[in-house]
Amino acid sequence: MFYLRYLRNELVRRRTRTIVTLVGLGLGVALVVAIASLSKGLDRAQHRTLDPLAGIGTDLTVTLQPQQQQDQGFGGGGFGPGGGGNRDLIRSNLSVLTDLSKLGKPGTHFVHDFFLPGTQLTFPQSAAQQIASLDSVQKTSTGLTLLAEHQEGVVPKIVATLKTQAKTLTIQRNLPRPTAKDFAQMQACLQKAGVTLGRPQTQQGQGFGNGFGGGTGQRNDANRQAFQQCLPASMRRFRTRVTTPSQTLKQVLNPPQTNISTTAYTIGGVDQTSPNMGVVTTAQVTKGTFLSPAGGEEALVATSYAAKHSLKVGSKLNLNGTTFTIVGLVSPPLGGQSADVYLPLRKLQTLASEKNLANVILVHAKSSSDVAKVKQEIQQALPQAQVASSKDVADTISGSLVDASNLSHDLGLALSVVAAVAAFLLAALLALSSVGKRVRELGTLKALGWTQRMVVRQIAGESLATGILGGIFGIGLGVLVAVAVDAFGPSLTASSSTGSDFANLGVSTVRTATRSVSLTAPVGITVLAIGFGLALLGGLIAGTAGALRAARLRPADALRQVE
Amino acid sequence: MNLYELKDVARYFQRGPTTVRALDDVTLEIEPGEFVALEGPSGSGKTTLLQILGALDRPSAGTVTFDGSDLVTQPDSALAELRLRSFGFVFQQFNLIPTLTAVENVEAKLAPAGGTRDRALELLAEVGLAERADHLPGHLSGGEQQRVAIARALSVEPRVVLADEPTGNLDSATGGEIIDLLANLAAEHGSTVIVATHDASLAARAPRRVAMRDGKLVDNVRAVPA
Repeated sequence: MFYLRYLRNELVRRRTRTIVTLVGLGLGVALVVAIASLSKGLDRAQHRTLDPLAGIGTDLTVTLQPQQQQDQGFGGGGFGPGGGGNRDLIRSNLSVLTDLSKLGKPGTHFVHDFFLPGTQLTFPQSAAQQIASLDSVQKTSTGLTLLAEHQEGVVPKIVATLKTQAKTLTIQRNLPRPTAKDFAQMQACLQKAGVTLGRPQTQQGQGFGNGFGGGTGQRNDANRQAFQQCLPASMRRFRTRVTTPSQTLKQVLNPPQTNISTTAYTIGGVDQTSPNMGVVTTAQVTKGTFLSPAGGEEALVATSYAAKHSLKVGSKLNLNGTTFTIVGLVSPPLGGQSADVYLPLRKLQTLASEKNLANVILVHAKSSSDVAKVKQEIQQALPQAQVASSKDVADTISGSLVDASNLSHDLGLALSVVAAVAAFLLAALLALSSVGKRVRELGTLKALGWTQRMVVRQIAGESLATGILGGIFGIGLGVLVAVAVDAFGPSLTASSSTGSDFANLGVSTVRTATRSVSLTAPVGITVLAIGFGLALLGGLIAGTAGALRAARLRPADALRQVE
Repeated sequence: MNLYELKDVARYFQRGPTTVRALDDVTLEIEPGEFVALEGPSGSGKTTLLQILGALDRPSAGTVTFDGSDLVTQPDSALAELRLRSFGFVFQQFNLIPTLTAVENVEAKLAPAGGTRDRALELLAEVGLAERADHLPGHLSGGEQQRVAIARALSVEPRVVLADEPTGNLDSATGGEIIDLLANLAAEHGSTVIVATHDASLAARAPRRVAMRDGKLVDNVRAVPA
């Protein structure tokens, strides 16, 4: 067929122009395909990682979060521990600050795990029944997610004993001057004792000086004695010696000195009788098995935690004297209720002294359309409850995965639109310039008897063929990019923090879970079809633009241009 | 009956504020089978007249009757059909499609008219280019290109072959060969030939000469058959 050969010749023999157009269209399409695939990969990763509730068979989670204002109590409806606000939170997290002397004799080594509810206050498990009785609720399950402080070290000496030595003290004091009255009394006393004080009024003329000052012989000694006796009490020289006894003092040290090291992890109590709905479910078991329904001394460990602490299926975990065997590794979804270690609920309640208490209720609505309604009902029934939907939980997740996902949502579309538009513009411009350069050729064809329609058909056909080839090229390139992303896929992380740091708690109540996700770019048929369609559209736009210009050419004008 | 009857044909072009009269009151008759030389210097209106005769352009005024029908009032599609089946063009620049081989260039005219590739090859053989059928125009000499153009023009057995300075880009020897080829083949195929040229010696060889100056016919000589 002559027209097809003509078309092929135009593409093959105008190689540079064809290649430039193909590369332009192809890059545009490849960009669209690659971005769409990446976006899809991110969505998939996000769905797996950032849709935390679906993975645990749940539509909503109900928790009791401390409110910042103190006035409103938690007591209502039998839900909550009563009292109010941060005080409860502080009180329930205080156990870690208890008397360390209870851990053993000072100097002995101890290992102890403290379990704290963090910012998710506990409440009676019976609240779950209240929610289960709501119309649109199909099923509920309770869980206990605690912040664990693993402490290890030497029990500190809390009381210090100090022994003091016996000590002799010498005390000396200066005396005040005698008053006139004191003087008179003294005089009287001395007279009685036969000692005269003052100017001699008798025959003993030798004077006072003799007797008083130096004196001679016994007479002098007697005087001194009398003098001593006659001094007023306050004027006798104070000179004393005190000896204190040896003493033992005991003093409570605050803070005690110790070498205790603390590591924090999170621990979840799972209702093992409900393997498809709970803070962790069978769906998340990556190795080993789920907890047995009997609920023995078994534990599940998150893969990331297991890797960090070299734990595997069969490893033992000793928690305050109870040995748990790890029966499975799990990959829990990020968000609110994920933990590093999972125990049967009853066991954790015992360990943490939280008998019949839970701090999360998982709710499965009868149908997904009821979720909003259920959320409202729960909030009405339990005003203090914090009800979180999948989206609420996903919103708390951050990290490069979320950034990339947001980027792909915000920028990806814009970028692919820009790429597509740029590719189309390029194709259209090239088609126009090609028609411009082929004015004489098209004029000649008209002179040869080609009708308007035939010329337009030929030009449009060329552009369409370019579009098809560009589409194929672009799809190939896009798939290549996607395959490359799959092969060398960069790792993206997502992390979720639950609870907030209450400064006055002294302990951090923030639980953080991080998950690494390898980026994939799954190429779907739809994506390919869209990419191909875009190229075709680009070709058609370019073809129409070129053909319309060709159609306006008058044969005579076309021929005249070369003269 | 005359093949062409032109009466008071004028063609004006608007070039900025001035109106150029490319053709001015041309009245002309051409009989079937004639070999007509349109002679005149550049810009005398030869090409314009040729384009009106070949239904590539419409006159601004006057009537053009071809084979009894008025070309002025025909729709574009009818003119395209006439160009396809009744006219063959030969240009000064050869105007071959650069991406098509010699035979494909002939097919460019034959294919819309329903002709085959074999017929195109036959025509190339007639102009002596059987071996060059698969060459691109860029690989052919000027004379060879013009031969391809002649084969293309004659491929549909047109009533009229219109040639605009067909030797203008050729040396005089080749030009002579081309004119001879054109004249002989046209005679064989029974086509009327109208050649526009400014080459007086070439025009002198034509049985009928129409001389033009400034868009007007100044001479209209029919050689007396010897």
